[in-house]
Amino acid sequence: MRKLRFFSVIVFFLFFSFNVSALDIYNVDYSRSNVKVIDRSESNKWGVNKHWNINSGNINNVKSVPYVDSDLKVYDFADILTDTEEKQIYNKIQNFIEHTNIDMVFVSIDMPYSYDSKNEDFAADFYDYNDFGLNFDKYNGILLLRNNYSSDRYYDIYTFGDAQLYFDQGRYDNILDGIYSDFTSKRYLDGISKFVSDCTYYYDKGYASKYGHAYIDDDGFIQYNYYVPIIPCLGGSLFITLIIMLILVKKNKMVRKATTASEYLDKGTINYTEHLDQFTHSHTTHYTVSSSSGGGSHGGSSGGGHSSGGGRHG
Amino acid sequence: MGKVLDNKCPSCGAAIHFKPELGKFKCDYCDSEFSAEELKDMDKLKEEEIKETEKNKDNKSSDNYSNYVNYNCPDCGAEIIADENTAATFCVYCGNTSIIKNRLSGEFAPKYIIPFKMEKKKAIDAFKSLRKGRPLVPKSFVSEKNIEKITGVYIPFWLYDVNVSGTVNAKATKVKSWSVGDTRYTKTDYYNVVRSGSMAYHRVPVDGSTRFNNDMMNSIEPFDYGKLIDYNHAYLSGFLAEKYDVSKEDAFTDAKTRTLNSTKDQMLSSMIGYSSKTITSNNLESVSNETEYVLLPVWMVNVKYKDKFYLFAMNGESGKFIGNIPLDKKKALVMTFVVLIISFLICVGISYLIYCGGRA
Repeated sequence: MRKLRFFSVIVFFLFFSFNVSALDIYNVDYSRSNVKVIDRSESNKWGVNKHWNINSGNINNVKSVPYVDSDLKVYDFADILTDTEEKQIYNKIQNFIEHTNIDMVFVSIDMPYSYDSKNEDFAADFYDYNDFGLNFDKYNGILLLRNNYSSDRYYDIYTFGDAQLYFDQGRYDNILDGIYSDFTSKRYLDGISKFVSDCTYYYDKGYASKYGHAYIDDDGFIQYNYYVPIIPCLGGSLFITLIIMLILVKKNKMVRKATTASEYLDKGTINYTEHLDQFTHSHTTHYTVSSSSGGGSHGGSSGGGHSSGGGRHG
Repeated sequence: MGKVLDNKCPSCGAAIHFKPELGKFKCDYCDSEFSAEELKDMDKLKEEEIKETEKNKDNKSSDNYSNYVNYNCPDCGAEIIADENTAATFCVYCGNTSIIKNRLSGEFAPKYIIPFKMEKKKAIDAFKSLRKGRPLVPKSFVSEKNIEKITGVYIPFWLYDVNVSGTVNAKATKVKSWSVGDTRYTKTDYYNVVRSGSMAYHRVPVDGSTRFNNDMMNSIEPFDYGKLIDYNHAYLSGFLAEKYDVSKEDAFTDAKTRTLNSTKDQMLSSMIGYSSKTITSNNLESVSNETEYVLLPVWMVNVKYKDKFYLFAMNGESGKFIGNIPLDKKKALVMTFVVLIISFLICVGISYLIYCGGRA
């Protein structure tokens, strides 16, 4: 009886493992493009040459993203670019990489999604489980994702390694807004060219001011060195000092004009003859908070960090 | 000539004074003590004596209430000069209290009085303790030697019973926020709110003398009206007194403003459950039902510090001490610097804790 129970547990575990391993998280059709997809297998370490620890927690993520030649740089799985456009974009990206020593990737997919965060998960997994990132140190790179899902088109920028430090939310917004009209009008060559040009511009400007005292740790997360924030501390202390001194000065001024007589009110005499609360109208406002928040490091299934721009729908 | 009364000990004839700590009158020479009732009988006899005395005296001044007026001290015969509003004063020669009766009778007769409960020493002690909890008070300011004069004064007050009635119209809002998915909604409901009704205020005090700063008199409120007793000029002995020079009609302006403001506040506070409320209009009216003329006890403390005069007042019934104290500028500067440094260090500490918390 005990043996039977043990056997059933093993069968259940194997069945469960099989099902889990067979699960495709993203359901993206990669066959529409000319990009050659390499098989992931245990013999090639699932195609992951980075230092991430591949385990049962992230193996499905690894298997759900294609293993590709990382030198191509342009992966048009949604087939939104012509061959000529792909070549032109590739050349621009190569120029960017030579100028900055930061990797750059463009990916288009057609992936159904309910939450923006699924796009981010795909982008992070695609980048982390392929050989992107120059020098294989902090895997520095930028990925532009276009999800051409017909019900809700979406695009966003994802940065990895040191590249995260060049972009704060303002810079992300400028780039995303700058290419919005091109992407919504399907002028992808123009949009991606503008994207590459903007990235070059911000690289030349240096780290974003909010990351002036930041660095990237071994796992790709943004960390900050402590420094005394002089201006905020000075502003805060001036405000506190002003309040304290006003209180102390006021203690010396005890003579005040009486403007009310509430202490002489006979509360028993309060008599209301009319008590009207009439609703007149209502006004409702709303604003949308993106579920994929921009700026700051987020963790991917690999355990590595990355940043995102916040994304745009359209 | 004005009618001048004195308070003499029925036993020895020496000057007799009201002792706040005893609640009685005491003779400093023979140690006799008398209640107010006992002295009332004595007062009647004195009035008759004075009438006789006045007939025999040469009038040096007329019953003129403008400018300064001369009186004769009934004790020593010396000439006393007082201004038109003084109702009780001292003879500068013999120190006896002189009460100008016709300034406390007829239309100037107070209905009630609250006798002094606090002694002069309490006023001095209150002044000397002004530094407690006030680090910007100059150390040498609270020295007793800076006190030029301390005077116990019965100040004329009008007490108004006021009825306020009418309507207050206000606009109010209720704000509600909620989220659905990634969208944050904020709904604002707008209301017209009306409150009509009435309420009564009992004994709202207004200073009836232009000689005393109204704000200062407001600041020593409240007086315990449970201590009000029928006026008897015997309580004035040992203290100064004033008669009113602001009519009850003119003084009512202050009571009216205060009661109208309080009624608006009261009606606003009855509008419950709103996120914001603003009065748009009102037709409140304030009517005085009854007015009482009373004398209330105040210790006035004159302080001279660095050639400037500062006036303090102490409620002679409750002991509440008020006045504006000069700032020690040097201390204020040092303290500003110290607070700035300490608060800067605190801000740095907080920023470091936030940094550590962010890394954890």
